[in-house]
Amino acid sequence: MCVWKGTTLNPEDLKALIDLDEGWVSRRIFWDRDIYTVELERIFGRCWLFVGHESQLAGAGSFLTTSMGEDAVIVARNRSGGIEVMLNSCPHRGNRLCFADSGTARSFTCNYHGWAFGLTGELLGMPEEQIYAASPRFDKSRLGLRKARVATYNGLIFATFDESAPSLDDYLGEFRWYLDIMLDNAAGGTELVGGVIRSTMACNWKFPAENFAGDSYHAPWTHASGAFAAFDGGSVRINQAESYHANVNGHGLEFGLDMIGNAATMRDPIVLDWMKGRQAEVEERLGALRTRMWGSVSSGNVFPNLGYLPGYFTLRTWVPRGPHAIEIHVWSLVNRDAPDEVKDGFRRGVMRSFSPAGILEMDDGENWEHSTATNAGVVTRGERLHYGLGFESEIEHDELPGRIFLGQMNDANQRAFYRRWLDLMTADNWQGVPDRTTKAVAGAMR
Amino acid sequence: MTRFEPALDEQMIATFLEDKEGAHIDDMRFLSIMRFLSAEARMLDEERYREWLALFTADTRYWMPVMENRYRRDRSVPVFAPGRMSYFDDSLDTLELRIRRLDSGTAWPEDPPVRHVYAISNIEAFATPRPDRVIVHSTFVSYRNKLDRDESLLVGRRRDLLIQNGDGAWQIRRRLILLAQSLLLSKNLNIFF
Repeated sequence: MCVWKGTTLNPEDLKALIDLDEGWVSRRIFWDRDIYTVELERIFGRCWLFVGHESQLAGAGSFLTTSMGEDAVIVARNRSGGIEVMLNSCPHRGNRLCFADSGTARSFTCNYHGWAFGLTGELLGMPEEQIYAASPRFDKSRLGLRKARVATYNGLIFATFDESAPSLDDYLGEFRWYLDIMLDNAAGGTELVGGVIRSTMACNWKFPAENFAGDSYHAPWTHASGAFAAFDGGSVRINQAESYHANVNGHGLEFGLDMIGNAATMRDPIVLDWMKGRQAEVEERLGALRTRMWGSVSSGNVFPNLGYLPGYFTLRTWVPRGPHAIEIHVWSLVNRDAPDEVKDGFRRGVMRSFSPAGILEMDDGENWEHSTATNAGVVTRGERLHYGLGFESEIEHDELPGRIFLGQMNDANQRAFYRRWLDLMTADNWQGVPDRTTKAVAGAMR
Repeated sequence: MTRFEPALDEQMIATFLEDKEGAHIDDMRFLSIMRFLSAEARMLDEERYREWLALFTADTRYWMPVMENRYRRDRSVPVFAPGRMSYFDDSLDTLELRIRRLDSGTAWPEDPPVRHVYAISNIEAFATPRPDRVIVHSTFVSYRNKLDRDESLLVGRRRDLLIQNGDGAWQIRRRLILLAQSLLLSKNLNIFF
């Protein structure tokens, strides 16, 4: 048994809560604060987390503020063109440094005593600096902001505070092949529409994360009203025989091959015509199979908390704010070289569908809040939840990388999400986190 | 399928972002606007959304931008601006789309019903160069309660461009909604303003 910082939980306690071979997950992991504390250390403290898009940092001094887990950070473009991610907290007395969502700055000055920090996090100076200079053992060079490792993938900026984490490329692994459908379907790459929609929800962060990783099954029922509106009285149709779950070490995508099933709910002929008109170009770049996935009924989650919908080109993070609360941050991603009216069509389509006022998203929150709140009951949280759909559905596929499961309505990706969660929660270091991308032998597929 | 009209136009921007104020309108017209806004608020409270929709002109624009936290000295982007992420950026047909969801009978979160109270105050009405058009400023308090403890309090300002028909009835041609929150302290906006 190892003693964990700030908690008496040990790995065996956690392993007893999760039985993925039989498809059971304890409800305690959605409620208990000691488990949440370990999540902040072992998941949000170790994984590569999405912090922004390169297009948000146009030039030197451009910055934005965001969160990695509950740690507030500044993401800034330095004078050499590099991207810095650093704690948004002064090392003197800990006050928050920057209070703007984004902007341009030469430095960040603390409101408390006036300590100023440069774009690379170095301590530039402070009021009455001569007093410090004359003070024994004062070393300005040791008082910079704590910085994270930073890496980008096709425009997306990720950061981690764990020096021993694998490279971002290794962390994303073969899941990059799926991300490229959204990020690399055009030579010009992507950019974010300006601004971000941020909202709050009283749920555990894992409910939306696992939902986006794999829960196609909820769509026809939860979103019946939104689909009714978007399809003039129609409904969401899912073809189990030609749809899949794909997962790579906890990253998950569930998808069909219908090309425009999700995009169609935006009901924008300019967007749809643009997508159809690009079919040959996208095929050339991504191949025929991924072109059919491009705007399909699909959803994905990059472990742990970056959700995305390829059909809408929207990114969102589930930012933990305690075991029973999150913030949702929603961005609209567009191809940089798309016509302006197409970009605007995506922007408005995302807002109308998957934002707090969106006709689809507003049904989700209610479910996730009550899936969380019911666990206040001690008997209730002693129960376990069923993740047993789609055992033995793993298949070999000639083109699709990662672990592939037939049938979009499946719990395979959710099981893979919790497998990764348990691996990270119980491993003392990255060397102890197993690679789960190897297919199991036939007959023992879980 | 017809394309939804772009939500923002030059008139919206000119009307609402320049902050020019005309003269106060006369008291009788002002009273009729107060009566109009109170009746509208009660339609929302009572979920009479089709009636509410009829208060908007065919070419209406309905915009609720996200308010951003920015330093005062930062002139690069305003705290809200056209083309950036918004909660609503709607025309009449997309407002209708939202109401269709509520009419579907399968909007599970709206059942049991949410209780709405929508209070409108601080109403000011200013003349424009066109006598049939009036710019109206107001503040709103939108309280929602569902089940027992599920509640949300949203407070903000509105700027409307109202147009008066030949029979004296008012319609909403432009509406700008400025919420006094940046992070939406609520899980959804299954309501209108």
